[in-house]
Amino acid sequence: MRRSHEPISWSLFGAGGMLLAFIGPGLIASTLLLGWLVQDPQALYATLSSGLQHPLTRLATLAVIALPLYHTAHRLYHGLHDLHIKGPTWLLGGFFYGGATALSALCAFWLFTL
Amino acid sequence: MRKPWQPQQPRSWWLRNPAYRRYMLREATALPLLLYTLLLLAGIVQFSRGEAAFATWLSWLQTPAGLLLQGIALAAALLHAVTWVALVPKILVIDSDRLRIDPRHVLRAHQLGALAGNLGLVGATLWLLWPAGGA
Repeated sequence: MRRSHEPISWSLFGAGGMLLAFIGPGLIASTLLLGWLVQDPQALYATLSSGLQHPLTRLATLAVIALPLYHTAHRLYHGLHDLHIKGPTWLLGGFFYGGATALSALCAFWLFTL
Repeated sequence: MRKPWQPQQPRSWWLRNPAYRRYMLREATALPLLLYTLLLLAGIVQFSRGEAAFATWLSWLQTPAGLLLQGIALAAALLHAVTWVALVPKILVIDSDRLRIDPRHVLRAHQLGALAGNLGLVGATLWLLWPAGGA
């Protein structure tokens, strides 16, 4: 039997869903508040710079980007089926899961070459 | 040659039943959440390009389009959080001979965790950035 990618894609979907449930609304509320809270962008830049010095902070930031990417890619991919939008599996799967993987890799590159 | 039976289902199947409409709304939360994640990713790119580029990204957050995206994403994230946490005890079933946990406790733990996570994050942002205190 051909091996299914479902355990991997569902694990990433589940992890992203859990992360979005636990910090998603709080994160979005925080960036909405930034405009009123930040009077000096340079000071915020310095604060974030020192925070991102630690590799664990970079790893956590990568998780906050990559896991929601896989979560939303999974839901949109299966949403196409619900809407009766058909296409070759390799193309649609490649677009959603491949896109999430490519953007996660780019994010890792940007974070770890800071 | 194989001739599989093709079930006939109208494309608008989900519009007729309120439970199906709620299901589609829940799945649709992924779209604004994806766009918001891309906005955050753009923030990382701008951050990597230096102070001035990062300040530009901060100003994007305050444009009408930025505020609209964040507003819709906030509503989507709240709906996602509520529906996700409600599903957890149905998927995370801890019922073996060695360990049994009542699904109500699993639900309660995740509700408290999600509340603590989200309120804690907003609290930390306010505490770090309150105009009187810091950056």
